[in-house]
Amino acid sequence: MRHPLRALALACALTLTPACASLQLGSTRIENPIAAAQTIDQRAYALLHAYAAVVEEATDIVADTATPLAFKRALGRAEQAATPAAETLQIAVTAYMRARADFDAASGANQPAIQRAATALSVAARRLNEALAAAQAPIAELEGLVRANRS
Amino acid sequence: MLNMLLQLQLLLAALSAFLPLVPAEHRVRAAEILDVAAKALGAGNVIASNVDDLAIKLAAIRAEVETMAAAGRVVTSEDMDAAMDRVRTASAAFRAALEAAEAQ
Repeated sequence: MRHPLRALALACALTLTPACASLQLGSTRIENPIAAAQTIDQRAYALLHAYAAVVEEATDIVADTATPLAFKRALGRAEQAATPAAETLQIAVTAYMRARADFDAASGANQPAIQRAATALSVAARRLNEALAAAQAPIAELEGLVRANRS
Repeated sequence: MLNMLLQLQLLLAALSAFLPLVPAEHRVRAAEILDVAAKALGAGNVIASNVDDLAIKLAAIRAEVETMAAAGRVVTSEDMDAAMDRVRTASAAFRAALEAAEAQ
């Protein structure tokens, strides 16, 4: 890879500033969809779509014969690390949505049932937050590589 | 960025025209250097245009999430399935492209 330090700096910037609304790279403004989300499930939804968009662009870079093979391999390693994190995030968000539906359904039930549903929802929300945090770094790394040669 | 790359490529093409003026003993080496520089610029061009594409896609996702947030709309399981399907499709295409690149 030609600019590892620049890619690392970008990845760090993205990881440490998830609330940044956008990033200016030269004349191109890179929007951060996650910053527009107001709920935890919207954040997960935005992150998954943003990750898919990054992989789609990485595919075009890899398919181009002008791209050096070493750079393609670096993208491959980053994708191999990030896609499992996205899978884990999807599992966590599914569990959270189920717990939220159970909590909504329990609103007419007795106090212990509401308490159980609230505890389950709280645990699911914490796990979803952890999955979001864990997914952001490897996804940001791949995104940083896609942008790496941008001056 | 794309303009700058285009200008550099034009400069490179102009420099190539002066190759016959380079002393014969250095001509092969100079041609190799220009060839490597052209390849590197070509890769940069591809990546720059992909960054522009990525910016458009991220802006579209942000607009969708903003609308969702403004309406207070809850993300459904169908929404999440569609997002994950997009990830899986993109990942499969990426791995196939990488495998093809390795095979070349």
